[in-house]
Amino acid sequence: MTDLSRLIFVLLCALTGNVVCAADKINFSHEILPILSDRCFHCHGPDPTHREADLRLDLVEAATENRDGTFAIAPGKPELSEVLARITSSDSDLLMPPADSHRKPLTKKQIATIRQWIAEGAQWGKHWSFEPPVKVALHGQEANLNPIDALVQRKLTEARLTFSEPASRRTLIRRLSFDLTGLPPSVEDVEAFVNDNSPDADLKLVNRLLKSKHYGERMAMWWLDLARYSDTDGFQQDSTRTNWPWRDWVIQSFNENKPFDQFTIEQFAGDLLPDATDEQKLATCFHRNHMTNGEGGRDPEESRVDYVIDRVNTTGTVWLGLTLGCCQCHSHKFDPISQTDYYSLYAFFNSIDEDGKAGNRAKPYLKYQSPLAERAVLESQQVVDQRKPLEAAALQQAKQEFEPWLMEQMQRVENGFTAWHLPELRSVKSVEGTVLTAEKTGVIQASGPTPRQDDYRLVAATALPRITGLRLEVFPHESHTGGKLSRGDSGEFILTDVKLQVRREGSSQLKDIDFVSAIADVEKDVKGRNYGKIKDTLDDDPRNGWTTETHDAQQKHVAVFELAEPLQLEESEELIFVMLHRSTEGDANIGRFRVMLTDQPGPAVRSLEPMPLEVLAAANLKEPEKLEPKLKQRLLDQFLVDHDLYQQRKTELDQAQAQLAQVKKGAGELNVMVLAERQEPRQTFVLERGVWDKHGKQVTRSVPAAVLPLPAEQTKDRLDLAEWLVSRQNPLTARVVVNHLWQISFGTGLVRTPGDFGLQGELPTHPAVLDWLAVELMEHDWDLQHILRLIVTSRTYQQQSSLTAELLERDPENRLLARGARFRLPSWMIRDAALQASGLLNPALGGPPVMPYQPPGVWTEMFMGRFRYEPSQGAAQYRRSLYAFWRRSSAPTFLFDSAQRRVCEVQPRRTNTPLQALTLLNDQSMLESSRELARTAIQQKRTTEERLDFIAQHILSRTLKQQESEVLKQEQQQSFTFYQRNQDEALKLISSGQPPVVNKVSPDELAAYMVVASMVFNLDEAITHE
Amino acid sequence: MNNPFENTALEETRRYFLGRGAGVSLGAMAFSLLENLRRATAEPKQNLGLPDLPHNPPRTKNVIFLTQSGGPSQIELFDHKPNLMKWAGKELPDSIRGGQRLTTMTANQKQLIMPSRTKFQRYGESGATLGEWLPYHGEIADELCFIKSMVTDEINHAPAMTKFLTGHQLPGRPSIGAWSSYGLGSENQNLPDYLVLISKMKRPSDQPLYDHYWGSGFLPSQYQGVKLRNAKEPVLYLRDPNGMPRSVRRGMLNGISELNQMRLKQTGDPEIETRIRQYEMAWRMQSSIPELNDLSDEPESTFELYGPDSRRPGSYAANCVQARRLIERGVRFVQLFHPDWDHHSRLSSWCIARCRDTDQASAALVKDLKQRGLLDETLVIWGGEFGRGVAGQGKWDSPEGGRDHHPRCFTTWLAGGGVKAGLTYGATDEFSYNVAENPVHVRDLHATVLHLLGIDHERFTYRHQGLDFKLTGVEPSRIIKEILT
Repeated sequence: MTDLSRLIFVLLCALTGNVVCAADKINFSHEILPILSDRCFHCHGPDPTHREADLRLDLVEAATENRDGTFAIAPGKPELSEVLARITSSDSDLLMPPADSHRKPLTKKQIATIRQWIAEGAQWGKHWSFEPPVKVALHGQEANLNPIDALVQRKLTEARLTFSEPASRRTLIRRLSFDLTGLPPSVEDVEAFVNDNSPDADLKLVNRLLKSKHYGERMAMWWLDLARYSDTDGFQQDSTRTNWPWRDWVIQSFNENKPFDQFTIEQFAGDLLPDATDEQKLATCFHRNHMTNGEGGRDPEESRVDYVIDRVNTTGTVWLGLTLGCCQCHSHKFDPISQTDYYSLYAFFNSIDEDGKAGNRAKPYLKYQSPLAERAVLESQQVVDQRKPLEAAALQQAKQEFEPWLMEQMQRVENGFTAWHLPELRSVKSVEGTVLTAEKTGVIQASGPTPRQDDYRLVAATALPRITGLRLEVFPHESHTGGKLSRGDSGEFILTDVKLQVRREGSSQLKDIDFVSAIADVEKDVKGRNYGKIKDTLDDDPRNGWTTETHDAQQKHVAVFELAEPLQLEESEELIFVMLHRSTEGDANIGRFRVMLTDQPGPAVRSLEPMPLEVLAAANLKEPEKLEPKLKQRLLDQFLVDHDLYQQRKTELDQAQAQLAQVKKGAGELNVMVLAERQEPRQTFVLERGVWDKHGKQVTRSVPAAVLPLPAEQTKDRLDLAEWLVSRQNPLTARVVVNHLWQISFGTGLVRTPGDFGLQGELPTHPAVLDWLAVELMEHDWDLQHILRLIVTSRTYQQQSSLTAELLERDPENRLLARGARFRLPSWMIRDAALQASGLLNPALGGPPVMPYQPPGVWTEMFMGRFRYEPSQGAAQYRRSLYAFWRRSSAPTFLFDSAQRRVCEVQPRRTNTPLQALTLLNDQSMLESSRELARTAIQQKRTTEERLDFIAQHILSRTLKQQESEVLKQEQQQSFTFYQRNQDEALKLISSGQPPVVNKVSPDELAAYMVVASMVFNLDEAITHE
Repeated sequence: MNNPFENTALEETRRYFLGRGAGVSLGAMAFSLLENLRRATAEPKQNLGLPDLPHNPPRTKNVIFLTQSGGPSQIELFDHKPNLMKWAGKELPDSIRGGQRLTTMTANQKQLIMPSRTKFQRYGESGATLGEWLPYHGEIADELCFIKSMVTDEINHAPAMTKFLTGHQLPGRPSIGAWSSYGLGSENQNLPDYLVLISKMKRPSDQPLYDHYWGSGFLPSQYQGVKLRNAKEPVLYLRDPNGMPRSVRRGMLNGISELNQMRLKQTGDPEIETRIRQYEMAWRMQSSIPELNDLSDEPESTFELYGPDSRRPGSYAANCVQARRLIERGVRFVQLFHPDWDHHSRLSSWCIARCRDTDQASAALVKDLKQRGLLDETLVIWGGEFGRGVAGQGKWDSPEGGRDHHPRCFTTWLAGGGVKAGLTYGATDEFSYNVAENPVHVRDLHATVLHLLGIDHERFTYRHQGLDFKLTGVEPSRIIKEILT
């Protein structure tokens, strides 16, 4: 063999996961079954509906039976085996797989493998993952090694590779800390570890990390993703649920190192355990974490069926590593699971005392009060307590400024006060033909045609310094029907909507201006969506609007609209006010009206009363002492609306108080969705083609025999099911679980399709390691920490992750494990690491969900204003990402590549896109972390080099090399020069985020170091598991 | 230069190697592996799509999908049934209903027929019929191909829209735009392949537009649609923080790049090289994307063509102008969403409002593309997730009357790239209740759109959890050859 072809050969053997190379006997489950599965089973497999020629190749009896003298497979006799003839046929009509199946023809090598296998006697077996795992014997020297290393070493030797050097101590502690706690090590921990020369330093570290309460959080994030945990229902209503005590149960369970079999049993059947505790019942929320659909018009039974299906599929993916979902509609095409098996599993979950509803009607519930909420209440109370005096001080200051202002106003209104001003009308037009004529008084009269519906469009300018509100007066007129308000049949009007826009002269673009409230003197009293209320003119919905019908129609009526924010027009800008009359039956266009503007703030445009300054003018007072207290209060209220500092402090306090109210609710008794059986079990049927109301044959609870058969008396309920899953004889669960633990430590599993251990899944790269660990897990009472400890103390795990060109070429995916794993950290770890590095992290455990920063408007846009995202205030802002409120329809924006939590997901996503770069550069949490780390660096260190090293040590767990330091120093200096000259910009940069802490560092310096810290946070090294 | 949403070249290699990508066989792997690896480490490529695509000569390069969310009423807008007048107020015959399930909103009321609330008119040489609420559509009737026999299986919004856009009723599959981006890649180096524009509306819509509608499902996330928001920040996290001028940002990126280069030398991990390029792409996007939202360089004639609402940024009409601009810039797939077509009540004031939002601009877009010679290479699709039932919801004869959801027939129109102009395909029964001829399932529409893009939907698969998934799923589907030029 040439070198190249030998290389290719080695690669083929290694990378296709073959355990045995050419010289050995063919291994059925690893070499033959994958070919048969991929190319043949679609038509000749377990699913009867697509079966061709009545031939099954998945069963030995069927494949080798005498079919009128021919044999699909004749053991020992390749020349008599029809299969071989068909896969090698030159006749395209005979060739298998047929061209129209879009399945690839077999390669020469695959054909040779099949020929050899038949020649060797066509030894049948089960798919590898259905065979019980066994520990392979370790020989001689191997017995002294960590078995992982012994078994990995075997494959390396075959491939003529060796282990890489061990990773540096710094890299190792970082790797271990991220893998076991999801957080980077502290600077002190790094130094201590690096200087610990004791032989068991690694083990001590690992044990310390496993005991850390952050271990439970790290593992919980793994579990929450596959449990599709969310704080909302999903779908149209996407109502909030309060299942977070279950999340805390998960953290607690991991921190107790609860054996995985018990962990499983409690989640499946905690309610069925004898004398079940509240915590055991709480555990069953696992199977209620699916989405629930409260969409109007949906049949709840259809939804309920969906939920049951979700539970079966999730069980399949998480415990069995099987794509059971396929069997919802038909028997599995590749794996030996029938549709009957599927619905027999379904039957275990089919008698939950639920009715398919969502929102707050998603019974069964457990009433539960969380012991972890009290801390959140105290934290929120602290924020309120901190902000109260600030608000009070601002109020005090504002009150002092109020007195001179009041004097000024009294002088100003001596000669009267005009609250409402006529705009300078530039054009008054209708869309559908009504003729509109403006009179000198600003009153506009309709005449001419009377279209059924019409929009009036006023273009106007104003000399007012700002606009806060708009008043619409509707007048009766003799030209109207019955001298009333319109020229329509009834003389009444219906104004369906109003709109306000701004246009700059000469520009093609319009800007929408929002109103926030509207009030009218009278409105028709109606229920539901109908014509009556003035506020309905703000929603752009023609099915509702304002009418004064039922009130005196021969009298003027008036409405006032408040702008969401005061509007300051530039000189070249004009206002466009649009009045829509688009009611269903129409014929109710306003006949006579006037529009006026005001600049008076707040309360003045929320009422029809005379404005405070109007009253003041009317009172005609000379001395402020004589001012009526009530009027003075109104004037003060109005003054405060325009007082920026006070408003800011008040908003901050309001936010804190809203948060306090919210967490107090969370501290009370909550409804947590759990499992509970209904009195009368439901009958279960196979659902034909998976359609919820197409009942096929009836089935009873049982487990798939191909995995592990159980007699009917042992499959009575969910408890039996759970015990079956974690039975010592179940070939799948332990393998699937240790594969997840491997994935946690290496970024990918030994089986790289963690959700599919079936025939279409990938073969394990190291079957012997997988099986060894699986057996070890079961032999050690399902102790997850024991397995993790084995993994992370192995030489395999502790190798350095850097690549040589040779390794990259020979094994780009690291399937042979000749080096450590290098991969980007999950986005939640990146955020948590930034909080930890900057010292902002609030390490509290559990409690109600929090709202980390996310860009404004995300929820509002999706739900057209139905939900608003209010970032958490105070310490709650800096909780770990695990506690971030998870809205199913809009996952936290800062978590890129995360599981979507709609259905169970077990495969990590790891893409590399510019949007991720932008997130890490501009996310508020990252910026605030940069600023705080910069501040500490400046306060604790003196020279630039020291400060830069300080930043690097906190983010990268190491000091900088000379060359690196130069690069950062240059940036620091350039930024500093800029911010020195532009102090305003420096202030802007450092002032985002939470209300100010006292800043003892000069803004320009802080800004410059903040820039550098942000750079380091964005380095590949900072976000990578090395 | 590379595509913004490109994964690492190494990841591409992985894809080849795992035999996941359409038509890439394990058999050819050894040599292509080495070859690809060399390329991966030496010369990173932009997203050129899959190597074995197109399967057939493409008939269109781009797609603009004008998604009308909520289920527009075919009975008022497209599907003219003059004979319904004589059935007004009578109960829908059981023979027609044929056991069709209803949503729980109308399941307990009598199915009394409500004839169309609009008058119909014939337009153009093709003589297409259109309801009076779509006068501008009349002007382009000869450009359009109406499919009046669309069918779906879903009766509620979220499942139906999910199926309409991803081929499956449950979230988790890639959307048709993501499939296109994955298969065909992009021509533009500074913009995503797949952009999503949502009409900004005041009215709170009852149907949220979930991001899985343009999600990448199990495809790598760089293929997901990128929502272009009408906000200060058109794409999330695009804006640098206040107080950070471009010069400082540039300096930072230079430094990051330099330091990452050093790390690349130490670790040899090609992923770092990709990261360096993605940070550069992020920088370019920071200037290329905000300028997309700025329509001020469009001449006055554009706004006259697209109507007064097109002057209002974020409106459907402005988004139609945007769509044309994006196509001009080489974006492969542009998807607009206009919410609030769910007209259960007061149909005649509610539905007309949505028509007024969309009629002129939709027509203008088709005219504009044609004028610019872009219609031949752009497929425009207009449609919602289902249709509406012939029975009135609420009182059939009162102004309050509306219509419930209806999956058995609805109308979608196509225009441009490879589709016959001035054609009406398929027909419904006299109640616009069942398809009478040439049913077109949502799957068939997907197969047809992929075909027009040069993709064979049968061969275009992605392996996920052990199965080869395709947009059109496992049920049979067909390309609607009859509507192709």
